[in-house]
Amino acid sequence: MNWLTAALGASVGKKLMMALTGLAFTGFLAGHLAGNLTIYGGKAAFNGYAEKLHSLGPLLKVFEVGLIGFAAVHILTGLWLFLQNRKARPVRYTLDTSPGGRTLSSRTMPYTGLIILAFVAFHLTNFTFADKTRTTIFEIVSAAFSSPIYIGIYVAAMIVVGLHVRHGFWSAFQTLGANHPKLMPTISALSVAAGLIVGFGFGLLPIFISLRY
Amino acid sequence: MSTSISLTLKIWRQSNPADKGRFKNYTVKDISTDMSFLEMLDVVNEQLTLAGEEPVAFDHDCREGICGSCGTMVNGRAHGQLKGTTLCQLHMRHFKDGDTIVIEPFRARAFPVIKDLVVDRSAFDRIIQAGGFISVNTGSAPEANTLLVPPHNAEKAMDAAACIGCGGCVAACPNASAMLFVSAKVSQFALLPQGRPEAARRALGMVRSMDTCGFGNCSNHRECEKSCPKEIAIVNIARLNREYVKASFASPES
Amino acid sequence: MRLDAKIPAGPLPQKWDLYRFETKLVNPANKRKYDIIVVGTGLAGASASASLAELGYNVKTFCIQDSPRRAHSIAAQGGINAAKNYPNDGDSVFRLFYDTIKGGDFRAREANVYRLAQVSNAIIDQCVAQGIPFAREYGGLLANRSFGGAQLSRTFYARGQTGQQLLLGAYSALMRQVAAGKVNMFPRREMLDIVVANGQARGIVTRNLVSGEIERHAAHAVLLCTGGYGNVYFLSTNAKACNVTATYRAYKRGAFFANPCFTQIHPTCIPVHGSYQSKLTLMSESLRNDGRVWVPKNAGDKRPPSQIPESERDYFLERKYPSFGNLVPRDVASRNSKEQCDQGKGVGATGLAVYLDFADAITRDGRASIEKKYGNLFQMYDKISGQDPYQTPMMIYPAVHYTMGGLWVDYNLMSTLDGLFVLGEANFSDHGANRLGASALMQGLADGYCVIPYTIGGYLAGSRFEGVGTDHAAFADTERKVRDQIQKLLSVRGKRTVDDFHRQLGLILWDHCGMSRNNAGLEKARTLIQELREEFWKNVLVPGTESDFNQSLEKAGRVADFLEFGELMVIDALARQESCGGHFNEAYQTEENEARRDDANFCHVAAWEFAGDGKDPNFHKEPLVFENVHLSQRSYK
Repeated sequence: MNWLTAALGASVGKKLMMALTGLAFTGFLAGHLAGNLTIYGGKAAFNGYAEKLHSLGPLLKVFEVGLIGFAAVHILTGLWLFLQNRKARPVRYTLDTSPGGRTLSSRTMPYTGLIILAFVAFHLTNFTFADKTRTTIFEIVSAAFSSPIYIGIYVAAMIVVGLHVRHGFWSAFQTLGANHPKLMPTISALSVAAGLIVGFGFGLLPIFISLRY
Repeated sequence: MSTSISLTLKIWRQSNPADKGRFKNYTVKDISTDMSFLEMLDVVNEQLTLAGEEPVAFDHDCREGICGSCGTMVNGRAHGQLKGTTLCQLHMRHFKDGDTIVIEPFRARAFPVIKDLVVDRSAFDRIIQAGGFISVNTGSAPEANTLLVPPHNAEKAMDAAACIGCGGCVAACPNASAMLFVSAKVSQFALLPQGRPEAARRALGMVRSMDTCGFGNCSNHRECEKSCPKEIAIVNIARLNREYVKASFASPES
Repeated sequence: MRLDAKIPAGPLPQKWDLYRFETKLVNPANKRKYDIIVVGTGLAGASASASLAELGYNVKTFCIQDSPRRAHSIAAQGGINAAKNYPNDGDSVFRLFYDTIKGGDFRAREANVYRLAQVSNAIIDQCVAQGIPFAREYGGLLANRSFGGAQLSRTFYARGQTGQQLLLGAYSALMRQVAAGKVNMFPRREMLDIVVANGQARGIVTRNLVSGEIERHAAHAVLLCTGGYGNVYFLSTNAKACNVTATYRAYKRGAFFANPCFTQIHPTCIPVHGSYQSKLTLMSESLRNDGRVWVPKNAGDKRPPSQIPESERDYFLERKYPSFGNLVPRDVASRNSKEQCDQGKGVGATGLAVYLDFADAITRDGRASIEKKYGNLFQMYDKISGQDPYQTPMMIYPAVHYTMGGLWVDYNLMSTLDGLFVLGEANFSDHGANRLGASALMQGLADGYCVIPYTIGGYLAGSRFEGVGTDHAAFADTERKVRDQIQKLLSVRGKRTVDDFHRQLGLILWDHCGMSRNNAGLEKARTLIQELREEFWKNVLVPGTESDFNQSLEKAGRVADFLEFGELMVIDALARQESCGGHFNEAYQTEENEARRDDANFCHVAAWEFAGDGKDPNFHKEPLVFENVHLSQRSYK
């Protein structure tokens, strides 16, 4: 497997791993969001979605293990890249102005990534690993979002995720080589849209729940 | 029309690679706005020399934007604020009377400072040595017109080949990555039939050499593209990425 | 000493073939026993280094820049000629040969120029194989355009950056050999002297421009590919580092300097606009394909160009040369622009400029078409002058661009010093008294790719070499001399900067040994240069030390040589009592103010031998024999 480690260990290889796992997470977010939207359908719809998900059984486990694996790759590679990038310029510029390439989203990728990591841990403890023997996921969620602090944390986190996706989405295509003058304007627009959809789609849910239930 | 302006220059002075370096302030008067930026530095150097101080060392040669020798950070921008312009092509008419200009060398681990504003960019030569060529010995070339190149590809290859190797992309990149430079050479050859036989080896070799030289990784900030004096586009980086994938996963090279 | 050009026998078209057949070969196994030094990495140096390394020689290559890719060949814009005859418009090897000889005003050697035309096609093949993105037709075949001084389309080009692309091609071939371990590359090195042992050039002494170290390098042969001396004028289109030091110091070691007064003034440059100006920028000659050169009919007309009606404009090149129009050779175009300005018809703030107008071309072909052809040139003009040439005509004026003179070489490209070969602009051989557009790239690459790989073999195989290493006495002597000169420069500690002296020297030469010359002016220039040189050594101020990155010291050494070389130029100009090509002596002109050659007395190469400091150089003559062309008065009417 020497060729594979060599291929993935190089700078472009690491970026490929980031792009592929990142796109997978974008897919996951899309699925997650679709599921969450059942909340708008009410308690029964949401619990039904949760049950259906759990009825997948081993498939779900495979999926979860996959996600963990992808997360490990994305996080470790990301950190590795981040540290290498810092090392590549040991003396910083005194004055560093941008000609207009960088965006808020692109320059904060490592930081938004770490915030998302912390948030995911928090989120999993709250909802996924919560004891559901005597209650339903809907109860847990609506209970949580009766607290303004929870709402605040979730909304803020979703803005961060939106920012991360906004750069990550088009960046993944660029890294995978899918940049063509004919396609790139669409991909760039989609990237902004994806950021907004993720931010608003997830971010509005806690507010909706707290107002509705 | 030409007018005269006065400026405060904050210039990085570093006597050798081991020196820590520091900024020094200089005031210059009567700078004609028709001067180029380097001519303005010439004026400073003449004054310093006559005052018994050491002039500021900076790389420059053709002074017409093609050799790639010049380049410093001017107010935080590689080659200054003007789009598609090398430092030698930047003219003082783009500055105002009383401006303060911060002049700093290109900074990257792979570009160590030699003196003042002069940096060592030999890493670029090492990258080219790792595959930035087509292996054709003198004398063994076939008749030129036996090879048809669609003009569209020739144009795109030329867009990439326009790279002057100044290092502005590395200087502008928040990660000090050399991807734009590498991608320009890989793209030029990838787009031409002559370059295809060695495409896989070239992509792998040049990327590895870039890594060994200590450049950072590409985060798609696009700062390189915006700073490139030859306006080389990041579609070339995407093409390099494709070439790299093909080379890594679908070629006998490893 | 009689100059022997070693022109092979036989009819012109077969000379090169016969030569290659008769030349001794070096056995492949023996090639690795020979070390070759190449100084300079422009088209000639890079292509020679790569080609020789491919053959198996051990090559050591030196350049003054931080990377071999930056040599000034990179700035050539317009294109490269070859006799491919792809457009089917009547080109042939003989026609390219003839045009080059005639363009050079019959002051070049027939055999060399014919060989140049013969190998021109192989250069294009080589460059295409290297991946140079030449312009293409819709079907994918190579495109050609016509270029200054030629009535047919034989010029290959890569936008306005042909020199860059060709150089990067040669550079990539060189880098390939560096990677293969066959070339040892020494960037940021300046050659300061040639080491001669037993009458042979056996090495060089260099200064490491970063550390200041003086280094010795030994070899069996030395190739100088160090370009021209246009910077003797201070203001020229040459890069700032271009200098005469390598060739001049070789001259002082016994290599003859040929025709130093043949300098080319390029007609289409951006005019001078201030006393602080550090260099001039060329606008490619290709612009003259579509641009029309004009001045106001009335002297002193200071109206902006848009307000000067058609009837009050003088398209002087089209008027005087109806068949060539704006495409007359460079020397003719330059002199005519100067003449118009001398008559007070010059435009712009200084009155030292003429218009190059694209309005008609834009109307005819559309802006998009003009943009495609010249976009980068227009952009460059806009950047420098702050004016948009799509809206208002460009202003241009002649500037020093190329030097046809150089070290004398024979058919083998070897100088009068055994083992010292000179390639590209640094030699004198192919362009006579005037170079045609798109021929410099052709010559540089011909010398490096096509000629030297054969001729050096003949020299190496036919010579006996004693063991001369860097510990040889000749190296010690040469190094001492180099060190002494550096110390001398640093110890003056005067009051004027190096650039200050250089500017003054440049002005003297521009005024008296520039586009047009006369005996009184030349005599005056000689005295002025001598005086300036004397002052230089008493009053130059070189800051810093020798053991450091010291750009002032670098410049000082070069200007010291320019100050001597400038006088040699003037001496040569005085000795050539005729007008030809780039050398225009006002006393020798036709009634229509064209250059009048004197073939009876000056159909020769003037080769100068160094006779010692402070002494007049010795004059040697290589008569030029024309057996295949008829010497005619150049006419571009």
